[in-house]
Amino acid sequence: MSAAREPLRRVAVVGAGQVGVLAAIAIKRASPATDVLVVGTPIDPVAFADHIGTALPFTNRLHDRLGVGEEALVRRAGASHRLAMRYTGWAGPGSIGLTAYGGAVDPKLNSAFAREWGGGAHKAAGGAPAGSVGAALAEAGRFMPPGGEAPSPLAEVDYALRWNAPAYRDLLIGIAAQLGVRHHPGPVSAVQTTLDGGIAAIQLAGSDAVAADLLVDASGTAALLSAAQPDRRWIDWRGALPARSLAVAPPAAPRLDLADTIAFTDAGWCWEQAGRDGVTRFLAVPDDVSDAAVEAALGAPPADRFPIDAGRQEQPWTGNVVAIGDAAARFEPLAGVALDLAHRQIDLLLDLFPGRAIDPRERAEYNRRFALMADGARDWIASHYAAPAAAHRLAALERSPALDRMLDQFARRQRLPITEEATVSTSEWAALLHALGVPAQRSALSLAEGEASGRRAAAALDRKVAAALDAAPPYGAWIAHVLREG
Amino acid sequence: MSGGSKIRIVVLGGGTAGWMSASALAKLLGPRVTVTLIESEDIGIVGVGEATLPHIRGFVERLGIDEADFMRATHATYKLGIDFRDFGRIGESYIHPFGTFGEKVAGVPFHHYWLELAARGMAGPIGDYSLAVEAAKANRFAPPAEDDSLRSTYGYAYQFDATLFGPYLRDFALPLGVTRIEGLVTEVRQDAESGDVTALKLADGREIAGDIFVDCSGFRSLMLGATLGEDWEDWSHWLPCDRAAAMPTAHVDQEIAPYTTAVAMPAGWRWRIPLQHRMGNGYVFASAFLSEDEACEAIRAAASGDRLAEPRVLRFRPGRRRRSWSRNVVGVGLASGFLEPLESTSLYLAQIAITYLIELFPTGGRIDARDRDEFNRLIDMEYDRIRDFLILHYHATTRDDAPFWDHVRTMTVPDTLERKLELWREAGRVELYSEGLFYDASWIAVYLGQGVVPERHDPRAAIPDPGRMCGAMDALKAAIAGEVAAMPGHRAYLTARAERLAAAP
Repeated sequence: MSAAREPLRRVAVVGAGQVGVLAAIAIKRASPATDVLVVGTPIDPVAFADHIGTALPFTNRLHDRLGVGEEALVRRAGASHRLAMRYTGWAGPGSIGLTAYGGAVDPKLNSAFAREWGGGAHKAAGGAPAGSVGAALAEAGRFMPPGGEAPSPLAEVDYALRWNAPAYRDLLIGIAAQLGVRHHPGPVSAVQTTLDGGIAAIQLAGSDAVAADLLVDASGTAALLSAAQPDRRWIDWRGALPARSLAVAPPAAPRLDLADTIAFTDAGWCWEQAGRDGVTRFLAVPDDVSDAAVEAALGAPPADRFPIDAGRQEQPWTGNVVAIGDAAARFEPLAGVALDLAHRQIDLLLDLFPGRAIDPRERAEYNRRFALMADGARDWIASHYAAPAAAHRLAALERSPALDRMLDQFARRQRLPITEEATVSTSEWAALLHALGVPAQRSALSLAEGEASGRRAAAALDRKVAAALDAAPPYGAWIAHVLREG
Repeated sequence: MSGGSKIRIVVLGGGTAGWMSASALAKLLGPRVTVTLIESEDIGIVGVGEATLPHIRGFVERLGIDEADFMRATHATYKLGIDFRDFGRIGESYIHPFGTFGEKVAGVPFHHYWLELAARGMAGPIGDYSLAVEAAKANRFAPPAEDDSLRSTYGYAYQFDATLFGPYLRDFALPLGVTRIEGLVTEVRQDAESGDVTALKLADGREIAGDIFVDCSGFRSLMLGATLGEDWEDWSHWLPCDRAAAMPTAHVDQEIAPYTTAVAMPAGWRWRIPLQHRMGNGYVFASAFLSEDEACEAIRAAASGDRLAEPRVLRFRPGRRRRSWSRNVVGVGLASGFLEPLESTSLYLAQIAITYLIELFPTGGRIDARDRDEFNRLIDMEYDRIRDFLILHYHATTRDDAPFWDHVRTMTVPDTLERKLELWREAGRVELYSEGLFYDASWIAVYLGQGVVPERHDPRAAIPDPGRMCGAMDALKAAIAGEVAAMPGHRAYLTARAERLAAAP
């Protein structure tokens, strides 16, 4: 008969940013008897997953599971909801496309009729109605998260949260401490490797060596533990992702907005993250862009500028060390995708939660699935560069066979092949490409169906939008209400 | 195939795959295509696949066919899964349900808790925790709920007479404008330059021209194999069964099992598929280990009920064409590949090929090579995933009572399956994928059902108090028993909906 694996006795998480602390919470919740130690490391400002306070809708589910309450985030970490992304200038000068989160987009809305009627890329003055409930709410500035009880017209609206990163980290630290996660300020002064490529113990400043069954390398781009392992290999993504640095503007005055904006500029994409504690602009700059152009695109001289060496670890779990976040993969941190991938890694570790003895097959399965996830995230970002303005501005980029296939299928018939372990659903991906203004023809099936089904889907959406607008208060009023109640 | 004019589709073969293709293409692409189907009364149909998978419901619904009408025409019964007997070991059996076992708790799949309790002798067979399994065993049926309740944890398919399904779809397709041509193809005409098929020449001299040809000519694979010479990838070293001796019998009693039975035999296995008025029986066997006469004798001896016909032997080979879409010819059904009916996948494979053909159908005047590649990529993935799952049924055995079982038990399996097996054995985990057929519940059913018990399971399954876990499992079992008790018997359910029933023969 089968026997339960001997549980992990001690896990050391190296790196105390928002990635490392959440990983520690996840492990402690999964296995309360395990001694979980978080070790501080020098702050790595280039670790985007640790410093940018937003992710994607997936994170809400992970937070729920780990007891990180949304209400606490709103009250104590400045959290606000993002229902949609607004893409400006991607189809060409003056173009605007809005795309909402959520898989509930009716594929029939991809027909030419429905697209021209709603959604898709428009000229700024077009004033066409939105292509999904989320987009309509974002445009109207109305929303509140649906309660669990009665069926709500807002129930199928999905959203991402943005928050104040230091406040969020403090909140996580509070939860971790309550769970009994231990903390050591670090730093790690030395590591003891094992013959089979793992790490037996870490030497901490001012204390004895700490042995651990499993180590989580959440130390950012320094990848302190991974760097000590000779078997690590790095896969270079620079051919697929053109940005070589990230310029960050000084924070601007707070603003509530249910959508963030990503503009395509000659100096790269510029993401403006709205928020209750300030608005931040991030500019992902390719090579050969002048400082003046960066400043012009950003609207101010950058407060910071970080290099981006895009790529990922071939085997993020090597020996008994799992690298997560920027220690495992680095890329343009477009609108929450950096932290999303880190959170997916934490979730994957929970899926394949190891015992004291690391099983090589389980580790291989983790690495197999991570590779699909990370490559999917890379392709998701890279697909933005298929937008007409980006394709015009930048030299041809390398594309994975999967992305090549997707863009070709989309262009010729709006069909999106399934990407296993992808960051977004195929319907969200299709909505993105429409919002970016990537030209697409109709499929034989859609042409044979004619316009009636698209018209019906559009009319059904119309009714849903009306019901949702009716049910949702102005977002600012809802936030004020929550803060008052708190 | 010039712009503006309709694309001419020619379907060769009037079996199940042929009429499935013609109906779906005419129904879904109607205004853009003409569909002609060539069949010959001189060529019999194989009629594989009396048992189906839940996906068939999507096909029937998409065509706008009424379930009751379809069930009456094909003498269909409901199916909740397959009962496998004597596969892992003689005397043992399990049901592979169209449903799940328990639920994830605290992020840990149910089967880890089950393994923990089973090791302590505190759990019943895993099937006790599946509503589909328990309903099947009790010969009961009701359609699943569409909420998140226990009653939503299963699906269903049909057991029907495949020789009636083709003709039923023919009657459906002809009013949609499908042209049926009776005739024997004597020559496949090709364009001298491109090699594309241009027309099929019939024995009476007629030539049927087309733009896209769908090869549903069965194992003859007249266009894809014989004309275009697409390579055949042979899988008989992994799946040695290459014959079936089929024989219908009368029902022995009033019960109709809402499941198919597969009983392992010395040189293969035999099916029992209950239809409305008869029982389908057949012995799927490996000719290297058993002669056709011996197989016919064996099925005569094993099948209960009055014999309605003498055994009929079907011959097949497991494997697939390297490319199912080549030039302007798309293979659907046996012309493209064959996997034995152990998991009722034949009609699914035809259906999925038709689905992808429609999704990737050319819009303009010509076929794009990229669409062909995409079609072949998807079809290969479907075949390969099913192949591994089928091989598991043979390989995961302790049987050493016959040379056939010695062979399959000791053979080298594909690396892709070996990896899955090792992950399961070492850690109790199922390799995850979301595309293709057979997800974790199916793998778990077969692994555990055939005695492949992991050495270790998730450490988190040992955290809760065993007594409390046992209480929760018992509560689930009781809830399932309550649901099963509330379901009508399968025959009673059908009888109460007489519009589904064909007249007795």
